[in-house]
Amino acid sequence: MFVAFTEIRRSLGRFSLLISAVALLVLLLLFFQAVAGTLTSGLTGGLKSTSADVVVYDAQGRRNPLVSILSTSALDDVRNADGVVAAAPIGLGVFVGSFEGADLDMALVGIDPTGPSVPSTLSSGRLPAASGEALFSGSSFDDPVEIGERITVEGVTFVVVGTAPDAAFNVLPTWYVLFDDYVSVSQARAGAPIEVAPSMIGVQVADGADAGAVAQSLTASVDGIEALDRATAVDALPGVGQITQSFSILYLLLYIVVTIVTGVFFLILTVQKRTALVLFRAMGASSRDLVTMVLIQVVVVVGLGAVVGSSVTAGLLSLTSDTFGASLGAATTATTIAAIVALGLLASTGALRRVLAIDPVEATMNPGI
Amino acid sequence: MNIAMKELLRRPSRFVSVGGALTLLVVLLVVLGGFLDGLELNQTGAYRAHEERLIAYSSNSERLAQRSSLDQTQAEQLAAVDGVAAVGALSYVGSTATISANEIVDIVLFGYDLATEVLPAPPADGGAVIDEALADQNGVDVGDTLLLGSTSEPVVVAAIVGDLSQGSPTVWLSTQRWREVLAVANPAALPPEGTSLLMIIEPAAGIGIGQLAINLDGIDVATVDDAVSALPVVQQQSSSFQGIIGVTFVVTLLVVALFFALITMERVALYAVLKALGARSRDLLTGISLQAVCVSLVAVAIGFTISVIFVSLLPADLPVRLVPTRMAQIAAGVVLTSLVGSLFTLRRILSIDPAKAIG
Repeated sequence: MFVAFTEIRRSLGRFSLLISAVALLVLLLLFFQAVAGTLTSGLTGGLKSTSADVVVYDAQGRRNPLVSILSTSALDDVRNADGVVAAAPIGLGVFVGSFEGADLDMALVGIDPTGPSVPSTLSSGRLPAASGEALFSGSSFDDPVEIGERITVEGVTFVVVGTAPDAAFNVLPTWYVLFDDYVSVSQARAGAPIEVAPSMIGVQVADGADAGAVAQSLTASVDGIEALDRATAVDALPGVGQITQSFSILYLLLYIVVTIVTGVFFLILTVQKRTALVLFRAMGASSRDLVTMVLIQVVVVVGLGAVVGSSVTAGLLSLTSDTFGASLGAATTATTIAAIVALGLLASTGALRRVLAIDPVEATMNPGI
Repeated sequence: MNIAMKELLRRPSRFVSVGGALTLLVVLLVVLGGFLDGLELNQTGAYRAHEERLIAYSSNSERLAQRSSLDQTQAEQLAAVDGVAAVGALSYVGSTATISANEIVDIVLFGYDLATEVLPAPPADGGAVIDEALADQNGVDVGDTLLLGSTSEPVVVAAIVGDLSQGSPTVWLSTQRWREVLAVANPAALPPEGTSLLMIIEPAAGIGIGQLAINLDGIDVATVDDAVSALPVVQQQSSSFQGIIGVTFVVTLLVVALFFALITMERVALYAVLKALGARSRDLLTGISLQAVCVSLVAVAIGFTISVIFVSLLPADLPVRLVPTRMAQIAAGVVLTSLVGSLFTLRRILSIDPAKAIG
């Protein structure tokens, strides 16, 4: 152990280069994970946090809340279906609001505050109960909005009466308002008294009933709809699969690069100091001693790189919170560091094989010219 | 230099490890670049279909189409500007298209007036122009019928153009037909009569877009490149991915520097002999740099091959596109980074004393 640390101390330049490389790769890994997490939660928060057990879409809507438009009769049909305790309309549209003197792209969600169409958890305040009231929820990309602040959309002004955590739609700051207010805003934008249909219907199922089974039954029994239990609806949101797949590819490549770089470094290092290792063995050091030395160096170098990378990532994310809105989760960081160290140990297999192949008798042989 | 090349040719196995690491880094860089280009091209196809045109927004829109609204009076003002040949509306909305009984796909539905080099004139019979992304991924052909939106409004495919994806594949109708479809399928998304989100300005023959001087109250005019650059999603993706690609180049630099530092340490005695025989530090450094460049060129070649195969195996809906200019930039960047990385050995080579060769 003593020799392992002494070597690191005396060859600080080489080890620092590897620590820096590992730190940068960990930085990339954690950065990707933080941004992917924020993007996913901004996309899925609205449905993930809803009090509805089942979400009903227009069958042509491809499980996309922004393009789903239900027929006006669908709400009654769903309410009267077996297994449904309550059903409420949910309207969703993207509008441009005027907030604190500036234009703001926002999602407006029309809800029935007494039905299963609202966020299940509030951070502060209450649900909107009257016309002109709104509940706010933003993703990590958005600045917080306080109770009492106002936003104007298509000439209709809303005052925030409550806030909810992680209940945004489409990675946009999201205002939940009464469904009638949502209709008024939509009509104001269209410039005509058009019929505004719900985008979705939130359904509460009976206690103990299986939401998936009720969803299947609704899809089969009501024409023109597709019902999904909440978890399935969240997974089916457009973009979620793409984000997960895209980032998974990048994680995979980064983990492979970390493994190869670490493996190559320790292999070369072991080959270079082979003569010294032979001498150690000839002087009585066991194979286990030498293996332990290599493993200690791997853990120190890779672990230090991972810790430095995590610290830099945390600092960078806090500095760029306006742009990326992402922060580093403790569990994500711990898992990544553990995975990097494990892969580093795996990568050292090549070096360890060389160490184990050392025969102390070689110390008595003349290597020649 | 001669010795360096001979070592490279006679003992290539010595460079396999750094070559392997570099190859993986090249694959990572190409995939990252592929995502950057794929995400941008995937979201800007409709803008790119209007090259050599100007795009007009309402001046308070910050060049965001969803915030813009222009009316007929403004269209007439634009048409009256010297050098303007035609002005046409351009609007869009996200929707779905039913291809067959069980196949519904997300689309962006455009209403437009003017033909471009990419888009034919809007079909007068209410037919639709679709892009390759929709046609190829779903087997749609000219003459097929698409059912649009929740009310399944039928349109017949009249023509297929190149990939104009704007987040999703695109369907193009005449403005009149677009309004008719939306009035039934999604009235809440229909702009008021006589207004559109954007206007496309076509310059007269022989007049470049740079020669048009348009200064009208309430109207902001942008080139296609400026319009694309103004998209927040493009700005954010571009800056994020370029930063990530930059960090990956730094990792490449460190890996090359690390490897050649180790190799130089191993050869200190040999270099001392070479110096004692008259070799200059510059010669030794040139040899190492040459090795680094050669290894990086091989890594680029193998990395590109692996990347092309890897990307071709990815699901078609992932936004990864390999663009030759980006790949050329990556190749040049990797070779340059390797060259710089190899120069990290400079201090050690300069400190080698030829006297050590004789003990």
